[in-house]
Parts: sequence; structure tokens; C-alpha cells
Amino acid sequence: MPRFQFNPPTLRKIRRFQSIRRGWWSLVVFGCMVVASLFAELWVNDRALVVRYQGEFYFPGYSDPLPGATFGLDYAYETDYRDLARRFAAAGDGNWVLMPLVPYGPYTTDLRDDAFPPFPPDWRQRHFFGTDTVGRDVLARLVYGFRIAILFSLGLLAVNYAIGVSLGCAMGYFGGRFDLFFQRLIEVWSNVPFLYVIIIISSIVVPSFWILVLIMAIFGWIGITWTMRTVTYKERERDYVLAARVLGASHGRIILRHILPNTVAVIVTYAPFSVSSGIVALTSLDYLGFGLPPPTPSWGELLAQGWTYMSAWWIVASVVGAMVVTLVAVTFIGEAVREALDPKRYTIYE
Amino acid sequence: MTAYFIRRLLLIVPTFLGITVMVFVITRMVPGGPIERIIVQARQMQSSLGGLASGPAEQRQPLSEDQIERLKAYYGFDKPVLVSYGQWLAKVMRGDLGTSTRYYDPVWRMIVERIPISLYFGILTLLMVYGVCIPLGIAKALRHKSGFDNVTSVVVFVGYAVPGWVIGVLLLVLLASVWEIFPLGGLTGDDFPDMALGEQVVDILWHTVLPLAAYVAGSFAVMTMLMKNTLMDNLAADYVRTAVAKGLPFRRAVFRHALRNSLIPIATSFGNNVSVVVSGSFLIEKVFNINGMGLLGYESVVERDYPVVLGILVVSSLLFLVGNILSDLCVAAVDPRVRFE
Amino acid sequence: MTNGSIMPINPKDTKHPELRTVLLFCLFVLLLMVAGCGEEKTPGTDRKADATADAAPAARRPREPLPEGIVWQTNDTDPVFASPEAVRGGTLHEALLSFPLTFRTVGPDSNSSFRSAILDNQLSLVGIHPNTEKIIPELATHWAFDPDGRTMYFKLDRRARWSDGHPVTADDFAYTLDFMRSEHIVAPWYNDYYSREIERVIIYDDHTLAVVAARPVPDLHLRIAFAPTPEHFYGRLNDDFVLAYNWEIVPNTGPYQISDFEKGRRVRFKRKENWWAEDRRYFRHRFNADTVVFTVVRDFNLTWEYFKKRRLDTFALNLPEYWHVKSRTEVVEKGYVERIWFFNDTQQSAQGLWLNLDREIFADRRVRYAFAHAMNVEKVIDQVLRGDYYRLEHGFMGYGAYSNPEIRARRFDLGKVEALMTEAGWRRGADGIWTRDDRRFAVEVTYSLEEHTPRLVVLKEEARKAGVELQLRRLDATAAYKKVLEKKHDVAWMGWSTSLRPQYWEHFHSVNAHKPQTNNITNTDDPEMDRIIDAYRNSLDATKRAALSRQIQAKIHEIGAFVPTFMVPYVRQAYWRWWRLPEPAGTRHTGDLFDPFGSATGGLFWYDPARHAETEAAMKAGRGFEPVTRIDETYKMPSLR
Repeated sequence: MPRFQFNPPTLRKIRRFQSIRRGWWSLVVFGCMVVASLFAELWVNDRALVVRYQGEFYFPGYSDPLPGATFGLDYAYETDYRDLARRFAAAGDGNWVLMPLVPYGPYTTDLRDDAFPPFPPDWRQRHFFGTDTVGRDVLARLVYGFRIAILFSLGLLAVNYAIGVSLGCAMGYFGGRFDLFFQRLIEVWSNVPFLYVIIIISSIVVPSFWILVLIMAIFGWIGITWTMRTVTYKERERDYVLAARVLGASHGRIILRHILPNTVAVIVTYAPFSVSSGIVALTSLDYLGFGLPPPTPSWGELLAQGWTYMSAWWIVASVVGAMVVTLVAVTFIGEAVREALDPKRYTIYE
Repeated sequence: MTAYFIRRLLLIVPTFLGITVMVFVITRMVPGGPIERIIVQARQMQSSLGGLASGPAEQRQPLSEDQIERLKAYYGFDKPVLVSYGQWLAKVMRGDLGTSTRYYDPVWRMIVERIPISLYFGILTLLMVYGVCIPLGIAKALRHKSGFDNVTSVVVFVGYAVPGWVIGVLLLVLLASVWEIFPLGGLTGDDFPDMALGEQVVDILWHTVLPLAAYVAGSFAVMTMLMKNTLMDNLAADYVRTAVAKGLPFRRAVFRHALRNSLIPIATSFGNNVSVVVSGSFLIEKVFNINGMGLLGYESVVERDYPVVLGILVVSSLLFLVGNILSDLCVAAVDPRVRFE
Repeated sequence: MTNGSIMPINPKDTKHPELRTVLLFCLFVLLLMVAGCGEEKTPGTDRKADATADAAPAARRPREPLPEGIVWQTNDTDPVFASPEAVRGGTLHEALLSFPLTFRTVGPDSNSSFRSAILDNQLSLVGIHPNTEKIIPELATHWAFDPDGRTMYFKLDRRARWSDGHPVTADDFAYTLDFMRSEHIVAPWYNDYYSREIERVIIYDDHTLAVVAARPVPDLHLRIAFAPTPEHFYGRLNDDFVLAYNWEIVPNTGPYQISDFEKGRRVRFKRKENWWAEDRRYFRHRFNADTVVFTVVRDFNLTWEYFKKRRLDTFALNLPEYWHVKSRTEVVEKGYVERIWFFNDTQQSAQGLWLNLDREIFADRRVRYAFAHAMNVEKVIDQVLRGDYYRLEHGFMGYGAYSNPEIRARRFDLGKVEALMTEAGWRRGADGIWTRDDRRFAVEVTYSLEEHTPRLVVLKEEARKAGVELQLRRLDATAAYKKVLEKKHDVAWMGWSTSLRPQYWEHFHSVNAHKPQTNNITNTDDPEMDRIIDAYRNSLDATKRAALSRQIQAKIHEIGAFVPTFMVPYVRQAYWRWWRLPEPAGTRHTGDLFDPFGSATGGLFWYDPARHAETEAAMKAGRGFEPVTRIDETYKMPSLR
């Protein structure tokens, strides 16, 4: 069985991408962030990684919640591992708890008797970015919010591409009345105030993750459709398509085997920008209160809190910091992809 | 070519009808309009005044069917959608956008009151963007891959990647709340009417800085990179090379030949600004509490003030459609090679 | 000619050609006026012409002979609550979060918070003493009850005047009925109330009248002592009412009137020169500020900044955040701004969690009790609300004898949850949540106020310990209200507004259960409950009603469909030190110590120019005063002491 291998032009493109350092490192950083967020339970969690109790090991991270009674505590609800760690340390009889780096989950409220949230960043308490106005760890909310935002953008991307690529190809390829009709439709569609539709829907149903993806897709398919249309339109006029048609290839075959592969560059280039616009869209909606319902961790909700409690500067600073890192990384990746796929060598006399 | 533009202008009509019909129909589907608001208020009155002492044997709707019908007639919800759409359209043709169901002011007047504010920011942003981006783009193109190019790229990209309103929130928290350098939003201070003219100008400018920064941040990158890339394309083009080879000084080649051609795409995008200038970003206006068109549109959507929603839609979609044509006209005017058929 | 002549007509204002005749007539009237009456003018002059025309010669309503044997009562013996030290003067600056959508007090969008500022300047026939709750005079000096239980007689104060100088007469009260019943005002609720609850107004002479309710009701005076409506101003209404009167300044009878306003920015009220009631026993030494200015400040946080910069005179510190943290600031610490924590004893809103009994899970009373025991309201009070709120023990606290002091809300208690749930046959699932037959104890909590999210988040976390999962669902206010009224909620997080006497029928009687659009959002359906509620509604005897009321509250507690949460039985305010308050600072029912207009509790404060000058000088010199935080517990609820 032949090993799967990229063909030489693709390999050349990948190598060219790697040579654009800004983009390559952005991809590395962004990839790490995504992986880290997917395994967030291992480093941002209010459940312990490992508990050693009376000679036995427990791994509460991914299991069902363990009641406090498991560890000889006097309650039946889920163990408070931060408290358990303190007790074991105080007792000093060989039991221990290994907490994740950030010992708070996205919903954990860390309230105190003598002070009230929001608490500023505090390394001793391991609130590295402080807490929000309810006493939840900002970093934990950021990480879990990031995970949701990324999955949201990828889901949105998938739906948008499914609609956009097929419709755009069809419009560009068939042209004529079909094209003209959808052109009008798109023009109309892109003028409907989309916030309006979102408010309608969110007042009828509470938007869940997938409902929100679908709502956003109602308006998200336009951009990629338009681009695909233009590209297909150009490709259609090329000689090889004419040749294929002369040879008697069906429309489906021409589109699938000839035109689509030649538009991959466009599709790939478009992707990073779609991801970043997906993140921005979700954040904006959450900021306005029309996004995912509370208490879902979300960047937009944190921004809204930061706007209301301006004195808690660490909330806004953390979110904006995280947004800058994420969005700039994605944008750099996009720029690098574009450059790798469509290199322009400038030769200038001077 | 004239025929082409006439055709384009005629195409505005079906598109405009399509947009307005759609939103009008949606309007009818949205819960929470003025009638529901009145019902809710009536119910609140009912429960706070203790309802009816010993009324009929069961609690009624706060309003009877008949009363609701009368309210529907009052707000024009009593007819089939398309009939009331027709009536609405006929009024719009006569220049009457109707009356707000929330402020009971004419929609047209509400829009006209807000336009100068959005226009103010729109024009300032345009000036800033074109005034800075074109020179910056040229400089970057001439020093491609230099340290200067890389550093400015990073700055420009940060501005591009992060949405303007997020930058606005950050600026507001840091510069207005924590360090108290700039005001906390609004376009004028509270005692604005009592100020002298000079103070008023200073006051407005002082309130303008942060929102303008937020506005500019986003548009910056696109324009700068556009300028840079097209100029570089042109510098690499044969005609410039030929000119330089013939002994024309490089600077002259750039400014006499390459630059002129590079301005074409910039000119193309100019037409689209027509609608941007008046629509404003509702998010930035919301963050900075500026009473522009964007905020008016947002609030009218949230408060289900249908006539205002539709009125803004009429204005903004017309501007958008005309803007598209204008931008083609710009292209035709700037680039003699372009022929629209 | 009297009515028509005082209304100047602006000819430009009429856009309707069909009104030309009317207009000509009015011009004629105008000419007469200019020739005859000279300078007489009303505020609010640009009104629709046809209203004037119809109003001109008011058809006199028939006068009836006064029945024999009426025993007139009045009240000039209850204690006064204003301070004799109070002096006149000063301008009070207050903030509005948004400019009112209209100055109308009826019709679409008139229900804004600003409406009370206008309505408070419309006196009623009689009022309620804020401490003794007895009837006191307002526009009527004397009153009497007819033995039929539905008629009340009133003798008007002969000196009572509208702000445009017209005397207040019995016809103005009869006109209130015409006005409120008119469909032109687009206020169906009022249309209904004034047709179904008030039968008629009987006029005996210009200053003597009777109001007849549709049927005998308890506390008759609370229902029928309405305010007059200036007939000479409105005349006959037409379809233009809503638009034509949107920004009209309607003549009123109270101490202040709007003097000018700038739409979207500010409204200014001025105290009337020689207000007709200023020497009346319960109005003396009150309403002292010369001017009251409401300025729009769109954001609540900004309001505080404005207050600190002396652009506002008072600020409500009810939110714990403001009382504890934000008011630790220079102006307070240097004593320029004083703070007061004033406890009142007034009706508390029934705030809490309302369980929908039609949901299968809540059919079992033990599960409802367990749910109540799983709500850690105390922790929310201590750790989110800084211990400033009080636990609401049941839904009807602060109603005096009508409140049952014995009921205590179910407290957070894991042991009880455990016992109740086990008894009901539930077991803890693998995730720690109670389950039975594949049904998890997970319920949706519908709420609408963003500010309540922190409280609910803590409740949710605590409930999880008790094995109950709360799924928070925030909807915008209209959508949440709709969902709850359609009884599509599991649990609704909300509060009801209060009234002088508790209302049970709409919330707990079975005729309102299991159907949409009624206020029985728990779907309480209990024959015993129906029986006592009916008895309560049909009784006219105050003592018996109070006893029944307490019994109903016990029954509500027993059913356990309502989990009461918080109450705020006090007001906390900050004010610049040149504003003075009486001793005690307010009344039993005071909700705002710096309410400038309220006829029952408002206008007790006054401006002290000497202290103002002293403070200004001190601020200039950088000197401070001893910081003042006054705690006034005169009227603190007995159960909290």
C-alpha cells in the first residue's frame, strides 16, 4: 500500500509556509492554545488531578464526582479538593492531593468571608488573572470560553463552507439566470440587519450552542459564496475546463474533479479569517447578551462585566490580552497561508 | 456605459423591495411589540392595584379581545402583512417614514437628528484613515521587509485582528476609568450648553479621541496593506522597470507613475464609504454611549420600535446600494481602461 | 366663554383642512381673549384646536340633592411628620436613567419611572397617613362613608386650585371618569378599571360629591379616592390624544409643576408660589426645595461620578457595592457627603423562586420542601450581598397585622434534603444529582435581570451540593414574563409588586391555575386554600381579614411552592451635607428620603444655605468635617430587631 504523500507542489507550499516565520510561529502558538484548551480539565479545574488517600490513588479529573465521604469528610456532595488539600497537608499522615495549575473550574465561585469579589490577580491564591465579579477565576473562564469559541468558529466554518462552496460553485459555473437570482438574493440577504433576526430567535428559544451556530450561518455563508462564485467564474473560462467539456465530462465531474481542486487555495486562505470572525461574532453577541446563556464561560460576558465594573481593570485587560494574542495569531496564520499559496516575488530596480 | 449604470440603478428597485419586504415580514413575527408591551403594563397595573375586587369568577386577560383589536388597529397591525406593507411603502414614497411607536416622534426627524453625529465620526475616521494609510502604505512598500515594515505591520495587524469596540472597551477602562485622562463616554460634557464656544469645541474634541481611536483601529490595516500591496505590484510591473531602466530617477518613477496606478483600488473602495459614514458601528457607539445612527438602530431593534427599524433600513440600504454603484463610477472615472457593459 | 377664552390657539398647529371651520371659530375666540382677558395664559399652549372648541361651554352636569344624615369625618389630630425647622429654598438635582417617553400618565409608554414625578403632583381626594395609615385630607377636607359600603362622600377644599388658577370642582372628578373611560387615551386597563370598579360620581354642588364603587369592597377609600382631571384643559378627547398630549404639561394640584424641559436632557420642576395647600396640617413644612431638576444620566455608574462632582445632590446607596466600597471616597471621608441608613416597615415585594406545580417533579410536596432546603439563600446574602439584604420569610412581609410573624422560610439544610428526598424514593446518581426512574432533579430557573446572575450562580453551586441541578435561563424581560405567564417554566425567579393590602386570589386561587395568562404562576390548586381566599375576599371586616390573611400565608408556606429569598426593608442614601432631614428622617413607609413630591411621604428634607456656605469654604480650604453615617432604626421591622 503506498504511503500517503503530499504531491510536490503542495509540499513546496507547506515548506514555503514554514519559511514565513511569523505565520509558522503563530500556527505553533495557536495550535498549542487549542490543544491546551481541549485538555483544560488537566490544568484548569477545581477537581484534583491525583488524590492519594489511605494508600489508594484517586483520579477525579475525568470521573464521576466523588462525594466528600470518600475521603473521610462529613458531607455527601462533591469533594472540595482545595479544602481537602489543606486538610491533608495539615494532618500530615501521608495523604496528599495534587491540584491542577489553576485549581478553579469555570463555574467555581471562590467567595471569602472577609472580602467581596472581584478580586485582583493573586499568585498565592492561584488566581493568576484575578476573579470576575462573582468570584470565578478569570483565567479559568478565559480558557473554557476559548474552547467554546474555537469549537463554535469551527462548527460555523463547516456549515458556512458546506453552503458557500456548493452554492458559490454552482453560481459561478452555471451563471445566467441562476446566478443573477442568487446575486439579488445575496444582496437582499446581506442587508437584513442580522442582529434583528438573532434577537427574534433568542426571544423565542434560548440559543444553545448549535442553534447559535445555525443562526450565525444564516448570515455567514454570504462571504464564502461570493468568493467561490468569482473564483469558479474565472476557472470556468480556462482552457482545461473547455477541454474537459469537449471530452464530454459531466457538469458534476467538471466541478468536482477539475474546478474544486483548483479553488482549494482560496478555500484554505479563507479559513483562518473565518475562524477569527467567528470568534469575534460570538464575543460580540455574548457582550450584548444575545449569545450563549449564562453562566456559560465566555469572553463577551467577561468584557461586559469589565465594562460595568471598570475599576476591576484586570478583567478587561485579560480578555483583551487573550483576544489580541488569539486573533493576531490567527490573522498572521491567514496572511502566511495566503502568501504561501500565492507568492509574489517583487523585483524592484533601484 | 451609461446604459450599464442605468441598468444598475434600475436593479436597485427590486433589491430594495426585497430587503424591505423581508424585514417587514420578520417584524410581524417578533414577539414583544408595542401591543405586548401594553398588555404587560396592564397586567402589572392589575397586580399592583390588586386587580378587581370581586370580579368574575376567573381572572381574565388584562385586556379583552376587542381592546386588543383596537390597539392593533391603532398600531396598524390589523391588516394582512402585504397590505400594510403596501401602505407603509406608499407612505415612504411620499417621504413619510412614520412615527416611532416608542417615542412618538417622526422617524425621519429621529434619523436626521442622529446623522450629524455618525457623519462626524465617519468623516473624521475617513480623514484619519486616508491621511495616514496612504503615506504609511507607501513608506512600507518602499521599505519592504525592513525593520520599520515589520514593526508597523505588527501594530497594524493588532488593530486589524481585534475588533474596534473591544479596543474601545480597553481604552475606556484604562484611559477613562483607571487613569481618568479621558471622559467616560458621551459626545459632550454634561454642562455643554453652558459653555463658551471655544470650550465647546475643546469639550467635543476631548470626547472624540477615544471613540475615534476605536473607529480608526479597524479600518487602518485593510487600507494600509491595500496601499502597500498594490504599490508593490506596480513597482514590480514592467512599465516602472522600463521607466527606471530608461534612467528616470526611482523617486520620480514611484510618484509619477506607480503611485497613480496604485490609487485605483483605493478609489474603488471609496464609494462604499457612503454608507459606512452614516451607519456607524453600533457596538462602538454603545460602548462609548454616543447617540449616533448605530445606537439608534440597535436600541430600536432591542425595543422593537418597528417604524424606526424600518426607517433606518430604508436609509441605510439605499445608501448601501447607491454606494456600490458610486464605487463603480469611481473606478470608471479613475481608470480609463475599465469599461462596464 | 370662560373655558375657551384662556386657551390661546396657535393657528399654524392645525394640519387638518377639515378643521378649518373649527379653527376660524377658535381664532374668533382668540380675538375675544386678546381683547378681553389680556395676559391670562396656561403652560402648554400649542394644543389641538378641536379639543378647545368642544370644551368651550362645559355642559353642566346635573346636581343632586345631598342625602340627609351624613356624618362628616376629618382628621386633624394625627401626628405631623415634617420638621418645623424646615425652611424654603435651594435646588435639588436628581438623575434620570432615561428621559421619559412621554409626559402623559395614561396611554402607551406612559408607565415609566418618571410618571410618579408627575402623578405625585396630582393630589387625590384623600390620602393615607404614612405612620398611622389612617385617612388624611388631600383635596377633600371631609369625608363620610355610606352604610351601603360602596359610596363615599367628599367635601372639597374650597381653596383647591389647579396650577393654571382654575378652582378644583366636583365636575373635575366626574370628568376623570369620562376621561379614563375614553378609548382615545389608548389605555385599556384604565378604561376597564374606571368602568368596572367605579360606578359613578354624584355631584351635589361644586364642592360636594360622592364616588360610588361598583360593589362593596374592603378599604373602600383606597379604591375610590382618585385624582381629578382638568376638564377645562382637555375638553373633549379625540383620536389625536396620544400624540397631541405627548409633551403637554397638564395642570395639576400638587406643590410643583414642570416649568421647562429639554427633551432628552432635563426636566425642571418649580414650586408653586402660594400653593393652595401649603399651610394644611399634613403639608406644612414640606416641599421645601424651590426647584427640582431631573437630569438624564444614562449609566448608573456615571450617576455616582456625577454625584461625587456635586452635579447631583443625592445618591441611593442601596447596592452593597456602593455602600461598602465605592462610598469609601474622599467626599464621604471628609464629611462633605453624609450617609443615612434608614429602616422602614413597608410592604415587601414577594421575591423568590416560584415552582410550577404542574411540573411532574414538583407534584410531590417532599420534593418541593427539599428544593427549598437546597437553596442557600443565606450564603448569597452573606457572600454576594455583603449581609445587607434580609431573608424574606414569606411572601407578604411588612403588611402590618396582615402579615404572619410566625412563618420562617425553610433554611439551607443538607440533612433535611437528604431525608426528604430519600423518603420520596429518590437516590443520588453517579454525578451526585438526585434521580428516580431516570428522572434527574434538574430544573430550569427562568429569570431576566442580568444583575441577578451572580446570586443565581452561587445558588446553583450550592444546590449542586444538595444534589439539585439548577439550569439558569436568562430571557429578556418580556420573553421571561411571557414564558412564566404561559406557565411554561419549571421555576421562575421573580418578584411581584406590592399593594397596600396583600392580594392572594390572583396568585393562589385554583380558578387561576392550569391556564395561561393568569398570575397563579405556581398553579396552586388547593380546595382549602380556595376556601380561605374566598372568605378573605368576601369579608369587609378588617380584623377578620387580617386573621384570614395570616392563615393564608401559613397555607402558602405549607404548600411550599414559593421559596422566598430577599427583602430590603430600608433605604440607604448619600447626600451633600447642606441638605437636612427631620428627626426621624422619614416615615414608616418612606421609600426615598429625598423624594421631592410624594404627597404621603415626600418633601420632608430642606436646604440649609449656611451649611452650604460652610461646606464650600471648607472644601476650598481643604478642611474636612467629621464623617457622618446616620443609622435610623425608628421604624425597623420588629422581627429584625
